[in-house]
Amino acid sequence: MQTAMKQAERADCEPTLTDTDVVEFCKQGFLMLEGVVPDEINQRVLDFVDANGHIPIRGEDWFVEHVLLNREAAGAVRSLIGANFAVPIGVANHRIKCPMPAQEWHQDGGSRVGPAVNNLQVFYYPQDAPPELGPTEVLPGSHHLASHQRWMQHYGSVRGTVHTAAPAGSIFITAYPIWHRRSKSTAQGMRNMLKYCYWRMEPPRRDWIVDPDFDFAMAPYTLDGTIRHWSQFRDWYEAAEMFFWLCGDPGKMTEAVGGTGWPIGHPPPRMGEQIYPPVGFRRFPEHG
Amino acid sequence: MGTSDLIKGRIEQCVEALQRRELTEADLRAVIDLLDDSKPQRQDLLYMQSSGTGLATEAYGLNMLVDGEIVEPASPDEWPYKSPLEAVRDGWRIIDFPNLALLMDESKTYGLGCEFILERLR
Repeated sequence: MQTAMKQAERADCEPTLTDTDVVEFCKQGFLMLEGVVPDEINQRVLDFVDANGHIPIRGEDWFVEHVLLNREAAGAVRSLIGANFAVPIGVANHRIKCPMPAQEWHQDGGSRVGPAVNNLQVFYYPQDAPPELGPTEVLPGSHHLASHQRWMQHYGSVRGTVHTAAPAGSIFITAYPIWHRRSKSTAQGMRNMLKYCYWRMEPPRRDWIVDPDFDFAMAPYTLDGTIRHWSQFRDWYEAAEMFFWLCGDPGKMTEAVGGTGWPIGHPPPRMGEQIYPPVGFRRFPEHG
Repeated sequence: MGTSDLIKGRIEQCVEALQRRELTEADLRAVIDLLDDSKPQRQDLLYMQSSGTGLATEAYGLNMLVDGEIVEPASPDEWPYKSPLEAVRDGWRIIDFPNLALLMDESKTYGLGCEFILERLR
């Protein structure tokens, strides 16, 4: 059968994230790596896109080596979507002339909310991205919030958002459905931000940096310190479900809460004077 | 002085003229002319997303339409109201309550939660 699809270029490297890092990604939906690309490469990227546009940069070996396969970024990608991941096929440049008003909040097209992490959307700043140049604004945990893209356009200021202001050479890795937008910019000048996707090619497995003492049930899955846009404990459930999916062992979720599906029927497992549920607890079927 | 204040003033003058038995058809027609000239009122809108359906629940999201322009406060510290109740106390009228149908499905969390839409006419 003839196909127009390109053969994916695959890569592998050592994972760099630990169990705790992966849990953090499951909670927040993004991971910032500040200043990981060297200055000379950042400048080369800027010169290249000024002269040639962004499309041909994917064919440049130096760009693949120092940006797409950057050690820290690729190590995090490898941790989250497994070995032999597919390297981005294309690169977009969200190049804007500042000042500009804030963009509308959105999830990118085709977003699928759920525990599976089959691809990652990655943003790269080849130049300093201070607040005045409208860095991307994200809503932590929103990769677990379902919404139609067209139903989000009236949202404005939201509590708990994070502006990804960062120095040149910063890369941030996101769960594809995370809510984001270009923030308002006030300075004069051009802002470049390259964006691309990595793809999972292997089934999920817990093959990142494993902590032998990691406690699956008591890990801190709750999204602390930010506003909760969901029902009580739901943030715990969503992050834990994603983590166990990444481990390739959804059965651990059943072990942790005694059954499957939301609502779980009781508070999530926690440490302290009151521990839920007792060891060995399981939900008995409601019907027969 | 706004148009409505002007009309009220003219009607007061008409009442006084009536009490003096000096009210004329021309006085009343002048008021009608003022009504014809008055501009339609503009609608301001206030969107508030909150954690619950209670009027006093803390707002998580806010956006406004003010005099025909979309005005987004730069940060939550600058929001004019912290809850729908505060906005109502300042003269806003609720025109849409949170859609409970969207909150009934426990299998997914939809949007930013409970949304109130309020209006004020200028």
